[in-house]
Amino acid sequence: MLTYIVRRLLQLFIVLFGVSIITFVMLYVIPGDPARMLAGKNATEEKIQEIRVQKGLDKPIYIQYGKWLGGVLQGDLGESYYLQQSVGSMIVENAPNTIQLALAAVLIELLGVPLGIYSALRQYSFWDTTLTTAALIVWGIPVFVLGVFMQWFFGLKLDQWLGVDIFPLTGAGDNVLWVIPASWESLMSLVLPAVTLGVIEVAYISYMQRASMLEVIRSDYIRTARAKGLSERVVVGKHALKNAVIPVMTIAGIDLGALLGGAILTETVFARPGIGLMIYEAIGRRDAPVIAGGVLFATVVYVFANLFVDLGYAAVDPRIRLEE
Amino acid sequence: MASDEHDRGREPVTGLTEVEGAAAGAAVAAAPAAAPKVLSPWSDTWRRLKKNKLALIGLGIIAVFIVVGIVQVIAYPLTDGRGLTPYDPNAENYSLSPTGHGSSPSLSHPMGTDYLGRDILSRALVATRISLLVGVIAVAIGLIIGLILGPISGYYGGFVDTVIMRLADIFFAYPYILFVLLIMTVLGPGFVNVFLAIGILGWASFARIVRGQVLSVKSMEYVEAARAQGASDLRIIFRHVLPNSMAPVYVTIAMSVGGAIVTEAAMSFLGIGVQPPNASWGKMISDYLNYLFAGSWWMVLFPSVLLTVTVFGFISFGNGLRDATDPRLKE
Repeated sequence: MLTYIVRRLLQLFIVLFGVSIITFVMLYVIPGDPARMLAGKNATEEKIQEIRVQKGLDKPIYIQYGKWLGGVLQGDLGESYYLQQSVGSMIVENAPNTIQLALAAVLIELLGVPLGIYSALRQYSFWDTTLTTAALIVWGIPVFVLGVFMQWFFGLKLDQWLGVDIFPLTGAGDNVLWVIPASWESLMSLVLPAVTLGVIEVAYISYMQRASMLEVIRSDYIRTARAKGLSERVVVGKHALKNAVIPVMTIAGIDLGALLGGAILTETVFARPGIGLMIYEAIGRRDAPVIAGGVLFATVVYVFANLFVDLGYAAVDPRIRLEE
Repeated sequence: MASDEHDRGREPVTGLTEVEGAAAGAAVAAAPAAAPKVLSPWSDTWRRLKKNKLALIGLGIIAVFIVVGIVQVIAYPLTDGRGLTPYDPNAENYSLSPTGHGSSPSLSHPMGTDYLGRDILSRALVATRISLLVGVIAVAIGLIIGLILGPISGYYGGFVDTVIMRLADIFFAYPYILFVLLIMTVLGPGFVNVFLAIGILGWASFARIVRGQVLSVKSMEYVEAARAQGASDLRIIFRHVLPNSMAPVYVTIAMSVGGAIVTEAAMSFLGIGVQPPNASWGKMISDYLNYLFAGSWWMVLFPSVLLTVTVFGFISFGNGLRDATDPRLKE
């Protein structure tokens, strides 16, 4: 187990190393001179050169990368070109909104578990067909499309009909707490983006849960359990359920990791402050330190979520031998 | 299909599905001379696929999408960018948008017109071209790289394998939308760059799948036989190993095409994909967004529906194909 974790951590650092290098190279070759942009339109050549030297942009790329990496290893992600703020504090500021959105979305998507199990237990029934068809259609809706229509219907139309403003169209309200919304307003502004992300994932999760449950209830040990004369309730509830849910939980865990790194499209559609919007806006401004730090943060969260999911899988399923 | 073939190769009744095998077994007991009908992997897959109505609906949607897309791809250069559409997709007609908010769906304009009086249906039709091209080209780029690196990785193993697979890990871990956004920022907006951006990312999943397949078939007897006959590595990989490893690749192609279409739409929605006057479904959604909130729902609804239906087609068919080629799901 320990060897496995060490090996995985090593691989993980190679991955993070690779991701940051790719990011750096891309930022380096993006057309445009950051020093010139920073200096403003009417800056003199001397001023531009001064900024270039001050930000270390006159050095070759590997020196810049080395300096950045050295900072990262000491917990310093650098400073935004434009916002007079450290990238670390920007992430800390934006993280609560993203954490709330990710947790809420994953909680919603777990509704797919009972739906998928129900479908599987009544395979080829009317409800199974309906649910499976609906799942595939919803799975096919691009997240920004669903976001736009949620905004239009629940943010605008509903308010017009009822005459009260329930769900804000955009924003995240005032958030100071970490994992729960700090105010009624921030709770209400969480609903639409979370449901947007959640509903699409419910579709995916229920489809996967159905497939996983179908595979399990056809397996030999379930046949044995039935042959022993156990009631259907015990067979399904006690024997089949556990094994059928594990693979789906890994999907949910990986989703959580991906969403904690920022849901760019959803956060953009709802203009909801968060890690995703932070990086998106930084790309628009060519704010290289924020982009590099943001990408690294998102990747770290994602790869560690993957690692925890794998370790969790091995912990609950003794058939998995991590050492292979 | 490939794995089915081999699994069945080790069964006593060669080349038969279990059901038919049992039936044939019964028949053999009665009349030993009865020759069992051998199903090819393709016809076996098709036999299982056509029982899955959702997959067939998906296949139908894909067929319509491809036909419409090809027509537009061919018509585009011949008609100077107009495409084969009921109205000129770029012709502005203010009488059809008297208040500047377009006109709602009618018999002559079933999807309505936009704020410039342009026909939505015509614009949506020419936009099919972009979606088809992105689906084909972007996935082809990823597929070609994956089909080169995957077999090399699986067949040779060792150091080469480690390098290629670690590289794949890096591409897998990179946040997808961020990567595409950054590549688009490097390359600049435009739909050809969208193809490249999506394509560059796509190789890792194909490489991984093919590598896994190659690993599972490379110690098979027929590969050893080929090697014993003096076949070269290249010949073994591309003539013997690869053709028998393609089933999961086809599934991934179907899913990736759907994914590429959505990604292009997302990039165009964010304004860095397709540039005017080219129409793409994502671009239409983003262009008409303000009009949706002002009450002109048809401008956004129809491109959204077309996008969703198309992606549904690929997902539905892809899932069906996976089930039909999965030996574990055989009855």
